[in-house]
Amino acid sequence: MDRKQCCVKLSVQPSRGLMDEKFIVLVQNALPGSQLTIRALHQCEDGHSWEAFGHYTADTTGTIDVSEDPSIRGTYSGVEQMGLLWSLRPIPGSKPGLRMRKKNIQTPMEVTISVYQGHQTEGFADLVPLSGVVVERWYMAPGVRRIPVTEGGLTATLFLPSGPGPFPGLLDLWGGGGQLVEYRAALLASHGFASMAIDYLTSKFTMETGKMVDNQYFETAYRVLQQHPQVCGSKIAMIGLSFGTSMTLKMAIYSEVIKLSAAVCISGSHVQPVEGSVEEIMGFFQKNAGKTRFNEKNEAIWRDLLLPIPTDPSLKADVGRLQCPLLLVVGEDDQNWPAQESALDIKEMMARAGNSHLLTVLSYPNAGHLIEPPYTPHARSSTFKTVEIQEKVMCLWGGQTVEHSRAQEDAWKKILVFLRENLYGGRNPTSFSHL
Amino acid sequence: MFRAHMSVTRIWQLIEKRMMSCISVHGKLPGLQRAVGEVRRKSSFRQSPLLTATPVRALIDEQISIKGRFLSQNYPVTVCAQMHSEEGDLWEAFAHYTTNASSSINLTSDHSVGGSYVGCEPMGLFWALEPALGSREGLRLRKRNVETPYMVNISLLEGHTSPSEGQRTELAAVTTERWYMAPGVRRIEIRQNNIVGTLFLPPGPGPFPAMLDLWGMVGGLLEYRSALFASRGFASLSVAYMGHKDLPGPQHIMSVGDSYFKSAFQLLQDHCQVDADRIGVIGLSYGVVPTLRIATTIGFKPSCLICINGAVGSPLLDEDGKSKMFESDQKHWEFDDRGYVSFRNVSLPDNLPPESKRKVENITCPLMYIVGEDDLCTASTENADVIEEALRSAGKSHQFTRLSYPGAGHLIEPPYTPCSRASLWKTKPEKLFTLWGGHPAPHAAAQEDAWKRILEFMETHLRR
Repeated sequence: MDRKQCCVKLSVQPSRGLMDEKFIVLVQNALPGSQLTIRALHQCEDGHSWEAFGHYTADTTGTIDVSEDPSIRGTYSGVEQMGLLWSLRPIPGSKPGLRMRKKNIQTPMEVTISVYQGHQTEGFADLVPLSGVVVERWYMAPGVRRIPVTEGGLTATLFLPSGPGPFPGLLDLWGGGGQLVEYRAALLASHGFASMAIDYLTSKFTMETGKMVDNQYFETAYRVLQQHPQVCGSKIAMIGLSFGTSMTLKMAIYSEVIKLSAAVCISGSHVQPVEGSVEEIMGFFQKNAGKTRFNEKNEAIWRDLLLPIPTDPSLKADVGRLQCPLLLVVGEDDQNWPAQESALDIKEMMARAGNSHLLTVLSYPNAGHLIEPPYTPHARSSTFKTVEIQEKVMCLWGGQTVEHSRAQEDAWKKILVFLRENLYGGRNPTSFSHL
Repeated sequence: MFRAHMSVTRIWQLIEKRMMSCISVHGKLPGLQRAVGEVRRKSSFRQSPLLTATPVRALIDEQISIKGRFLSQNYPVTVCAQMHSEEGDLWEAFAHYTTNASSSINLTSDHSVGGSYVGCEPMGLFWALEPALGSREGLRLRKRNVETPYMVNISLLEGHTSPSEGQRTELAAVTTERWYMAPGVRRIEIRQNNIVGTLFLPPGPGPFPAMLDLWGMVGGLLEYRSALFASRGFASLSVAYMGHKDLPGPQHIMSVGDSYFKSAFQLLQDHCQVDADRIGVIGLSYGVVPTLRIATTIGFKPSCLICINGAVGSPLLDEDGKSKMFESDQKHWEFDDRGYVSFRNVSLPDNLPPESKRKVENITCPLMYIVGEDDLCTASTENADVIEEALRSAGKSHQFTRLSYPGAGHLIEPPYTPCSRASLWKTKPEKLFTLWGGHPAPHAAAQEDAWKRILEFMETHLRR
C-alpha cells in the first residue's frame, strides 16, 4: 500500500452529536489530487444496513472538507455537509419499502464513516478503507429524563429537559400508523421543551377495549402536562404530523380545556367532520378510500381521499376561530395528504376571519409527506399499515430526496425558532413572516 | 478566592452535602441536583430561561459553547459548573455575567466580571474547577475510567452569587458529558512481556502512527492522555513503571529499568495495527527520563519526542535505569511555610549525577520540550537549556522546539482541566503535599496551546 495513503486522516467533529446537529467531516494528509470516496454505514435496530457515499478529489493540500468541497457523484452530489446522513439508503439487496425510524431513543444511532481509495460505488464490504471513524447521533441530550406516563389511562412518554424548569410544554402527535413514537419529543426536550409523545390510536385502552379514544384523552394529556410541577402550565403547544394535524387543529380550536400557546401542523389538513370523535374522523377518511390511486409501481396514493377541499363548513375545522399562532409545514409533493391544497384553504379561511396574522406557512417544492427532524433518510415510499387496514401496503409519501432533505433541515430550524419565540419569548401572538 | 466566615449550621450543611454527594458518583444526576444546595424554585407561572451547551457531549479537548437566552436585559447572572470526581469529591467553578440588550449571554464572547475566572474565557467553567468548600486538601482531578464521561452540570443562577452561598435561585441548567474516548476507540489492557499498560487504538483498519505515553513518579497507570491521542487518530500505549500492583517489587520504588521501556516501544513496533516507522514518545515529569533514554539507545529510533517538564537525568538511577527510593535523598527538598515540598532543586542540572545525564546530542529525531515557567517540581527551564545547548552544539538546532509558558506549573496536561498547584504526595509516615506550581489562568492557557501544538507536532512527524 502506498505509504503516504496509509497516513490519510479522517475526522468527524463532533463525534457525538444530537440528531439535528451538523458535523464537519474532514479528510487530511491525502495525496493532493487523489480520488477518494467517503462512505457512511449504519445498521439500524431492525438489522438492515444503510449506506451513503460521495466521490471527492483531494485539493492541493491533500484535504477534503465535506462542508466546503463538492461530491462529484454518489448518493449525493455537490457541497452537502450532511449528505452522508440524509442520503443514506438501504444497501443493495435489501428488502424494498424500508423506512428508518429509531425506537429506542436512549441509545445513539451509530454511523461508521470511512474513506476509501478511488471512486468506489459498490462492494465496499470487500474493500479495506484508508481510515474510519465512528460517530454517535443522539435523540436525547444528557440529563433529559424519559418518563412513561400511564396516568388517566394515557399511553404516553414525557421527556423533561435537564434543569429545574419550569419548562414550556409540548404535546407531540404522529399519524395514522399509531404506536408510541418518541424520537421527536426526545429531541424537542433536548432543546428545552417538556415534550409528551402520545399514542392516541393504539393506546393500551384501545388495544384492550377495541374502542378508539375520545377528546377527553387529549385533554387528559394536556392536564397531566399542565399540572406537572416542572411545566409552565400557561405555555403549552402542540405539534402534529399527518393525522396528528387533524387532532391538533381539533383540540386547538374546539377544546374547552386545552389552551395552546402555539400549534405546529405538518403535512396535514383541516378537513374533518367538525363535531366528529376520533373514530368518526377516521371513518370519514375510510369512507373515501375508494379514491385511492396507485402509481405504476403499485404504490398507494391517498392524497385524493380528502379532495376536493369541501366548501361545507361542517367538514372543515374552523381555523378562523384559532387564537394561537399556527405554523403549517407543507411538502408540495405530498402524495399521502393534500397538505398544499389544505394550506391554501386554511389561509383563505383565516384571511376571511381576520386572524391570518396568526398563520405562517412553510411550503417546500418537491418535499413529500414525511417531514421529520433533519439528517435522516428520506423515504419516498415505504410499507405502511394504518390502524384501520389490516394488511401492509406500499404507501407513496412523495418527495425527491435532495429537496426533501433540505426541507427537513429548514423546517426543523424554523419550527424550533417558532416554538422558542412563542413558548420562551412570551411575545404577543404574531405571524412569523421573517421565518 | 474569598472564603466567607461560616456558621456552624452552614458547616453541617456542607458536610451533609458532601456526604450526599459522595454517595452518587458521575452519571447520577440526582446527586448533583442535591449538591446544588438550597435552591429556590421559581414558580410555575413563568417559564425558565433557556441554557444551552453545544456540543453537549464533547471530547475533553473540544470547546463547548454555552449560551443563556430569554433572560431579561442587563440582568446579572452567575453561570456555575459542578461535577463529581470518581472519588466522590465535588468540584465547582462559577462566573459572573450580565446580559446584554438581547437578554442573553454567550460565554464564547462575553466577559466574566468575577468568580473563578474573569474576562472572556469560553472554557473557564472547566479549567477553573476547584474542589468545593470543605473538601479534603490537596486534591487533583484525574480520570481513572476513561470509558465513561465526566458529567458536568452547568447551571444559571440569578444574580452575582457563588456556589457556597446559601439562598440561590437556579434559573436553568444543562448537563454536559466530557469524554476522553471518542466512539469506536478500542481500549486494550496489556499485560504481556512483563509490560503493565493500556493500549488505545483508533477506529478503522490502521496501520496507525503511535505514541508511547509516559507519566511521572506519582505512579500508577494513567490512561486519559492515550485515550485522547487515539481519539485523534494515533495508537497510544500508556505504561505504568511504578506504583502499580501488577509490577514487580514494592510500589514506592521503580523496579523496572531501561529494558522495560524498550519492551514497551518494541510492543508498539510489533503490533500489526501500528506503523513501526512512525512511533513517537511523550513523557511528562519523570517520564522524560525514560523518554530520553529510549531516544539515546542504539537500535531505537522514535520519530519524535515530546518532553514536558522533565530532566535530562536523575539522581535515582542505577546503571540499568532502575531507581533507588526517591525519598532516600532529601537534601535538595525545599519546604514552604505550610510544609509543602518543592522538588525543583533535585533536578537542577548541577545537582544531577553527570553519569545519569543522557547524551542528548545523539538524538536523531525532532524533540519538543515544553516548559512551565512556574514549575515547582522540576527545574524545567534549566533542563530545557541543557538539551537545547547540547543539540545546538551538535548542529541539530533544527530538531529542537521549545514551548515556554509563563505562569504555568508542572502538570501540563490535556486542556480544559483544572490546574493543581499542590496535591497530596503521600500519607505515610505522615502527610506530605507536593508543590506543582502554576496559576489557574496562565496554566489553562498553556495547556490549551500546548495540546494544540503537541497534536500538530505529532501530525507533522508521525503522519507526513
